[in-house]
Amino acid sequence: MTYSTENTLLYVEDLSVSYGDKTVIKDINFVEKDVIRTGNVTGQVIAFVGRSGRGKSTLFRALTGLVKPSSGKVLIADTTTGIDNDAKVVNEGDIGFVDQKYTLFRNKTVSQALMFALRNKEITKEEKEVKIKEYLHQWGLEKVKDQYPNELSGGQRQRTAIIEQIFCSGHYMVLDEPFSGLDVGNIQDVKDAFNLMTASHEFNTIIYSTHDIELAVELADSIYVIGYPSIEGKLADYGTIVKHIDMKEIGLAWKDFGLDHMEVVKQIKAAMLSS
Amino acid sequence: MKLLFKPFEKVSKNTRLLIVLFWVVLVVTFWFISSMGERHLFPSPQQVFTGFSELYNEGLVVHVASSLFLCLKAIIIAVIISLIFAYLSTIPVIKPLANTLSKLRYLPLTGITFYLTILINDARTMQVWVLVVFMSTYLTTSLLSMVSAIPQEEFDHARSLQCKRWEVLWEVVIKGRVDHVIEVIRQNLAIVWMMLVTVESILVAAGGLGFLIKNSDKFMNHGRIIALQIVILFVGLSIDFILNYLRKTFFRYSKI
Repeated sequence: MTYSTENTLLYVEDLSVSYGDKTVIKDINFVEKDVIRTGNVTGQVIAFVGRSGRGKSTLFRALTGLVKPSSGKVLIADTTTGIDNDAKVVNEGDIGFVDQKYTLFRNKTVSQALMFALRNKEITKEEKEVKIKEYLHQWGLEKVKDQYPNELSGGQRQRTAIIEQIFCSGHYMVLDEPFSGLDVGNIQDVKDAFNLMTASHEFNTIIYSTHDIELAVELADSIYVIGYPSIEGKLADYGTIVKHIDMKEIGLAWKDFGLDHMEVVKQIKAAMLSS
Repeated sequence: MKLLFKPFEKVSKNTRLLIVLFWVVLVVTFWFISSMGERHLFPSPQQVFTGFSELYNEGLVVHVASSLFLCLKAIIIAVIISLIFAYLSTIPVIKPLANTLSKLRYLPLTGITFYLTILINDARTMQVWVLVVFMSTYLTTSLLSMVSAIPQEEFDHARSLQCKRWEVLWEVVIKGRVDHVIEVIRQNLAIVWMMLVTVESILVAAGGLGFLIKNSDKFMNHGRIIALQIVILFVGLSIDFILNYLRKTFFRYSKI
């Protein structure tokens, strides 16, 4: 499938995060560009996989500006200036973040939460209401619009959390293990949500982590393995990128899951086990 | 029947009611039997009933109202002070102050009343402030625990929605935990209610349930003492019930 890349959307250079003396992640470098496919609006889907405790969640907190890097930088495209490749340092709130627990405001109903997410948008209250109604319909949340988070199912909470971030944060969305603990139906819902997001704008970029390697290979067009690097035959005690697979380059992105994908799964599992 | 003695056994609503009824009957029977002889520790139900009617005729309701008003006044002031410290404890420079206030709960009552007597002339105000000082320390302790128990994810969620730090405090801690504050007040109210007797005995002229107990104690009127204990218990339980009801009614999302 032919594609090309244009503007840089995400630029991470020498990123390290330490808590006190403990370095959690170090020397993280990667670049993701806007993927262009003729006749298709194609957002970017980037997966991070790795064993538990390798620093995926810390990396996500750094990517979303929720934790300050000890060194290095995270730049995202500044789409507000209209200049190609204009970049800015990421700040909290620039990138949407949906955590593993699909955290919402416990005292706000679905509608109230979405209205809150739109509070800074320069549109009228009526326009906000129309937008909320449209999303509630599109994402199957109409019936639960007046319910509180503790009255929602896991899938409904997750969808609400995603819409909140879409309303508030623009083109980037980080999801920490969006598939964990979901049943087959909910997993399909998340996949549909990914499609909705990536099909709605060229710059929309989804970054997610998962322990389900098959799902990473099936959905992502770029996969990073986070693990402990081997230094002089010994495993270091900080996480970094130990392998990158560009599914576009090897011609497996945007294709149905097949035998070639299984081969990639094997490679990733091997990389994870050795790190 | 055997199942009723099995740990973690689930019982039906009716069975639960029967169990409660059984215990009430047992306690009442024990009370009757133990107070039948010449010498007994507890006054008989008849004595308690007489004590209760005497108290009622002497204006028990006014005394209950006086105690409730004292409590209400003290709670409002204590809650305001504690909430300010607890909310501001999220600011690093204020945190040590809030922690210190919480630690003051280990101070003895006598020391505090000594200084309050020097500072305050009016005895009713003194009663209020003794309760305020003590309740503030306990309330602050509970409220600090409430704040520190908020998961990091909730703060991150608010920050990811472009909330400024003060907005995070407002949305997550203040607005997001109003129901918890009511629960904290409910839990700590028992302490204030318990201290009522001691505090109201500081100024007997102001009346209140504490004054009545002290007075009955002086004349060794056991029937009245137990009658008052029962009244205090029921008023306390009623406040507890009302606060719990308010929390559940006004905060549908509250599942504490």
